[in-house]
Amino acid sequence: MSEKPKVKVATVWLGGCAGCHMSFLDLDERLFDLFKLIELTVSPISDLKEIPVVDVGIVEGAVCNAENEHVLRTLRKQCKVLIALGDCAITGNVPALRNQKVLTEVLERGYIETESTHAGEVPNDASVPVLCNNVRPIQEFVKVDANIPGCPPDADAIWYALTELLAGRQPKWNPTNVRYD
Amino acid sequence: MIAAKEITVTIDGKKCVGTQGQTILEIAHANGIMIPTLCYMKNLSPWGGCRMCIVEISGSPKVVPSCATPATDGTTVVAHNDRLRDLRKLTLELLFSERNHICPICPLNKGDCGLQHQGYVHGIDAIRYPYLYPSFPVDLTGKYLGFDHNRCILCTRCVRTCDEVEGVHTLDIGNRGVKNQIIVDLNTTFGKSTTCTNCGACVSACPTGALFDKNAAFHGSLAKCHEVHTTCTECAVGCGLVAYTKENRIVDVFGDNDSPVNHGHLCARGRYETWAIKRDRIEHPLVRKNGTLTPVSWDEALQVIRTAAGKFTAPQKGLLVSGKLPNEVVGTLTKLRSRVGQIGMYVAEHEASLCGEPSFAVDAFQRLNDADAIIVLGAEPSRLQGVVAARIRTAVRKRGAKLVILDARSTDLDAYADIVAPVVSVERAFWQRVATTLQDAKRPVLLYGPKALTPLGITAMDKLIQLFANGTGPAVIGLPTTTNALALAGAGITPVDDVADWLTSHSLQMVQIVVSDEVEGSAKILRDRAVAGLLLALPCVVVQAAYESRLTELAQVVLPTLVWSEKSGTITNFEGRQLALRPALTPRGEGRDDQRILESVFA
Repeated sequence: MSEKPKVKVATVWLGGCAGCHMSFLDLDERLFDLFKLIELTVSPISDLKEIPVVDVGIVEGAVCNAENEHVLRTLRKQCKVLIALGDCAITGNVPALRNQKVLTEVLERGYIETESTHAGEVPNDASVPVLCNNVRPIQEFVKVDANIPGCPPDADAIWYALTELLAGRQPKWNPTNVRYD
Repeated sequence: MIAAKEITVTIDGKKCVGTQGQTILEIAHANGIMIPTLCYMKNLSPWGGCRMCIVEISGSPKVVPSCATPATDGTTVVAHNDRLRDLRKLTLELLFSERNHICPICPLNKGDCGLQHQGYVHGIDAIRYPYLYPSFPVDLTGKYLGFDHNRCILCTRCVRTCDEVEGVHTLDIGNRGVKNQIIVDLNTTFGKSTTCTNCGACVSACPTGALFDKNAAFHGSLAKCHEVHTTCTECAVGCGLVAYTKENRIVDVFGDNDSPVNHGHLCARGRYETWAIKRDRIEHPLVRKNGTLTPVSWDEALQVIRTAAGKFTAPQKGLLVSGKLPNEVVGTLTKLRSRVGQIGMYVAEHEASLCGEPSFAVDAFQRLNDADAIIVLGAEPSRLQGVVAARIRTAVRKRGAKLVILDARSTDLDAYADIVAPVVSVERAFWQRVATTLQDAKRPVLLYGPKALTPLGITAMDKLIQLFANGTGPAVIGLPTTTNALALAGAGITPVDDVADWLTSHSLQMVQIVVSDEVEGSAKILRDRAVAGLLLALPCVVVQAAYESRLTELAQVVLPTLVWSEKSGTITNFEGRQLALRPALTPRGEGRDDQRILESVFA
């Protein structure tokens, strides 16, 4: 049996809780079947830093700061197919709750007014990425080829979407396989 | 009545029969063709606002909302095709983009949300529009309900329910355009509202998580709860309830849409007060030892009662039961007649007269729905029978019915009345005014409560009935305040509204009082201040109750009983309907059924 070349995949973690990557690991023994078909390069799981040229880019999280946007745009350049994994990447979701407030209020609430904070200050070191005024879903920055909704998407939804895409088909969502929560 | 003309409409290729005046949506649903909806709600006026139910009609280039379009004979309608699906999907995407619909932090997130469901049905994984992320307020000041405007789709189901069903019109729409928002009164909060009755109908009507019950939020998905259809035992109306339970606790309570009594509508008592208020429950039998009520086993409690009972003869023993007990208690009480000298049912003041010649007001609701004049005499429906009050309000507001209220206590219904007076007016001019107000009434209804059965009240009732002496007379509806008092009195249980007299005139030595889960029971019995002293002077007082009260503090023995959600049996409502009580929960603690306790005490 001749070995088909493996599909190269990179996954990134923007403004999100890592729950979608956890849910990816929930594929459990199906990971063995998946890794027969794919090769994982950059990922929060592998901890490599530079995104190489890949076939598939998977994005967890919304765009909350300048670094998120930079990583997202780099991945888009380096991949052929870009997948939004989970509600934060697709809708902004919980991180976007802060859009209801002005950014300065958000920072003051988080770093100064928090009940457990004593003499806090808003970090302003040059190495800390600048926060965007509004949290936005990734489709407002780059073209997205497929979405896997859910907060987080369960392993079955991830498995369904990835196997469909690997078979060259667009995932079709319906009440039996889609969840937003 | 002339039968409505039958019409035939072809929907998605299926010949559907309906009647003239029905909308396309009603005919489609009746014929098993499910058109998606969000703002449509059966029994409310159509709104046509959400555009989910759009259909194509042959010969017209436009799509029309089927919920607001009357069907015409012979038309061909398309309810499902790719164009309509795309349009509906587009509408949904706009709805999702307009506010902050963040499913993971919504109490309706697991299958209870109409918007989420339509998103799934239409296969929406992402929307094509930028999210607006507006900042809308969250109103948590309501006693039982909360309103997160960030989840509102402005379907106005709450507004229409509040207006058309509860009849108070607390809710409406404020502001313009994208700032449209549901407002309470003149843009205040639920906590400050002067018109909201806390009936919770708006929450039942809300298709999203915008309006939610605070005590139910995040306690579990209703879709995954156990559902029990039972009957509210808070008053004599007997509304159908659906109790949603999980792990043997109530998650939420809604009106039963299939109930012929309330058709899904409830008042605050039935909807919330039965479960959303924390009450101190009695979980074990208690016996007074050295002045303190002490938990003991059932065997010990029963032994204490039997030892005390052995000292007295049957005529020295009395049994006073709540008028809230189910019909099945009658059989038990009949069996006890030879062993207990006096068996009575305590009721509200003057209610014994109301139960004196028990008569059920068959089709009372039908009469109220048709009434063009309503006279309320010595009753407070908006405080005690909220669902009846809602019918009165809608009769006045929607059909222009005249309303005359004769009661000493003012309630919110007064604002809708043509004449409000206490039941004392004897002046000629007053009755002349009443007569003028009611002179054109063709279908008058006279609704009276126990307070009407005083000498003054009876005089007033006679005068009112005389006003209609030339016509068929008003439909007279007796409205007891005690749930099952009419039926129990009818079965021969003597109503007692003067407990002090009952205790002294029969020289009772041992009294057992069955309050059961009647929250007002203790107050009813101790209404006359002499009663507490009389009970303290008795050698033996046993109280059967579910909740701690002033009365249980006077008892030598307290026996724990069941609450409404644990009970079975039947009650008979004020219309004479026999309604079933079905247990939704297994009893908490060592509580036992009232009949079982009575049989073991007097065995």
